[in-house]
Amino acid sequence: MDFAFTPEQEQLRQEVRDFIAENVTDSVRAEVEDAMDEGHGEEYMKLRAKIAERGWIGISFPKEYGGQDGSRIDQYIVEEELARVGVNVGLSGSGGPAILAAGTEEQKQYFIPRLIRGEVTFALGFTEPQAGADLAGLQTRAVRDGDDYIINGQKMYTSSAHYATHIYMMARTDPDAPKHKGISIFLFPMDTPGVTVRPLWTIQNDPPAPMGTTYGMGRTNETFFEDVRVPASSMLGEENMGWYVGAMGLNLDRVGASRYLISVRRDEDIVNWVKENEFDGHSPSEDPEVRDRIAEMWIEAQVCRLMTLRSMSIVEHGGNFTYEGSAEKVWAPEHGVRTTEGISQILGPYAQLLNGSIGAVEDGVFAHNLMGSFQSGINHGSVQVMRDQVARRGLGMPRG
Amino acid sequence: MDVLLTDEEEMLKNSAREFLEAECSPELAREMERDDLGYPPQLWKQMATLGWVGMALPERYGGQGLSLTYLGLVMEEVGRHIVPVPLHSTMTAALTINADGTDEQRQETLPKVCSGDMVLTWAFSEADPRYRAESVKMEARRDGDGYILNGTKMFVDNFNASEKCLVVCRSTHGSQGTDGISLFLVDTSSPGISHELLTTLAKDKQSQVVFENVRVPSSAMIGEEGSAWPIVEAMLDRGTALLCTQMTGAARKDAEMAIDYSKNRLAFGRPVASFQSIQHICADMIMWVDGGQLLTYEALWRMDQGLPASVEVSQAKAFCNEKCEAVVRSSQIIHGGIGFMMEFNLHLWFRRVTAWTLRLGTTFEHRARVARALLDQPGKMRLGRSMYQTASR
Repeated sequence: MDFAFTPEQEQLRQEVRDFIAENVTDSVRAEVEDAMDEGHGEEYMKLRAKIAERGWIGISFPKEYGGQDGSRIDQYIVEEELARVGVNVGLSGSGGPAILAAGTEEQKQYFIPRLIRGEVTFALGFTEPQAGADLAGLQTRAVRDGDDYIINGQKMYTSSAHYATHIYMMARTDPDAPKHKGISIFLFPMDTPGVTVRPLWTIQNDPPAPMGTTYGMGRTNETFFEDVRVPASSMLGEENMGWYVGAMGLNLDRVGASRYLISVRRDEDIVNWVKENEFDGHSPSEDPEVRDRIAEMWIEAQVCRLMTLRSMSIVEHGGNFTYEGSAEKVWAPEHGVRTTEGISQILGPYAQLLNGSIGAVEDGVFAHNLMGSFQSGINHGSVQVMRDQVARRGLGMPRG
Repeated sequence: MDVLLTDEEEMLKNSAREFLEAECSPELAREMERDDLGYPPQLWKQMATLGWVGMALPERYGGQGLSLTYLGLVMEEVGRHIVPVPLHSTMTAALTINADGTDEQRQETLPKVCSGDMVLTWAFSEADPRYRAESVKMEARRDGDGYILNGTKMFVDNFNASEKCLVVCRSTHGSQGTDGISLFLVDTSSPGISHELLTTLAKDKQSQVVFENVRVPSSAMIGEEGSAWPIVEAMLDRGTALLCTQMTGAARKDAEMAIDYSKNRLAFGRPVASFQSIQHICADMIMWVDGGQLLTYEALWRMDQGLPASVEVSQAKAFCNEKCEAVVRSSQIIHGGIGFMMEFNLHLWFRRVTAWTLRLGTTFEHRARVARALLDQPGKMRLGRSMYQTASR
């Protein structure tokens, strides 16, 4: 056991902080925050390129594909610092790691360096109108036609589809096989003919959530595939094995610095807010019940932190987490909800005031968090599905 | 940064587990609940011979000179197997004697502790159950070249089996709070001491100890007269962190028993383990234990590095108090009526973990301490970064 970062890692952290102080200006931050609604702007892309130039994206990826062969902990440090200012440079597990594990040499050569440089971004095409928690029940079809596949169907909540360059999606390639054994993954450009993206507006859209909101995105999408012809070479991994490749990537999506910060930034926010603010001369930090609740939340947040570091430690040892990633994905989102709800009971009626309202606290960020925080317990595997996985994979309990 | 156990740490834990699995059955724990002494001296001696009692004590006294973390790993296994030995009380006192005692005090106690020939304990609580300086009212009055102790201590663990006891007193008449606190190493056989066992839900050996004009020499004092509070606080912190290891060790075993039971217990024609309502409780149980364990390890690790750890200790204890209790309660519920039966072993864990949640600081007390660190010192707080300027009990 060693709970300290090395001096080199502390130095790396300082370098990232210095970089942020110099480069992440308010206007960049505003642009970053808008990205989920309007796509990445010019300033963000410049910033991202600068970060990539430093070698800070994909640190743990192999050198031959543009990474650094570096430590997963180093990568965690960079991601943590940048995520604190709203810049997410974590490469999603669905994407880079899945391609490294299952991709052809050609796919690795093409995608990994471009993901690192930010030239390729993936929208994720998993959920469908009739397939959410039971993702393997998906109905989008891909039918072989010569050297190509023809894809037809619909995906829901394809959040960055309106600005992503590519989609990473699951489709059914064998309708007669058991449902987990007839699915394949395809990677192809969003501008492939037959792909249509339609916006879905969230409860955060009006008024727009302020900077720093948890799940403050105003927009997601539904994406339609109508006779979309893609070459067979766009398949990731073997035909009909997509469920297993996809599950591996999704498992990685459930851990890491960005997701951890989504769940714990609120704890720091409220601690620092009650210390510096008061209502009519009275600081909530003097109330015993507020103090007790804040300490409780903080302790839970430490557990989120340590569970994240546990997953990182397992990866660093070259292992795979069996239940630990799922455990983290239960604990952190549920903690995030308890915190935002705790904060709302500290602020009372002020917690309802949205961005732009008279009396809004910190531009209404706490109110918007209250609307958004439960979202992280839903996506990438709901907390209920995650508990199933902890019980079945971690504890060997049988299916019902 | 690596929160996993090293190979050496894993080996130690495994060897402790193998030994205790073989040597300590639940029947032994049950038997010791009815025993006058409360522990089997032979097993205690064996554990000393294996080096576990002296694990974190210096080699020059016959110990192994290893870290608190190592001791914690052993104590996790002691908790797992609910081993009825006075390890916690002895370590809490011995580590304080080692850290803050005189050479003479160390010579007098530590070699015997390491060899398994001396059991120790410590006495803090009185009428006020809170673990804070204000709760200490017991008087130590200077008299010639010694002190006269008067007062009543409660919840003194294994006093009946202990040769010596660290006693927290107020040596300055009328002093308040942390001022005027002194610590004495007292022979339990001193004239004027009487004790009576309490009837506790863990059926462990805790006593009410009455001190009536008990005379101790000046040489029995640990630290300086009237300014021993920091020593006492460090003693409580070490004791608390080590207690957390016992709690998580016992709670994990308790959760495993529920999981195993659910796989074999049939209802509606299938194992109850196949019901999601049961699976989700079990998933929570494991996550709770994992969380408590990680917090505890971080606290122990910080102490081993010589870093301030009071906040981490309180984080761990506040969390373990609630979550380990939730684990053992959930396990009882999964077992149904049989878990409530005296002849079934599960309650041995339930009653012990429950008792440990009540010792060395309640959830409220520990959260209050974390809140002071978070809210009563200036500057922005950030998870994972130092929280220390002050964080006293």
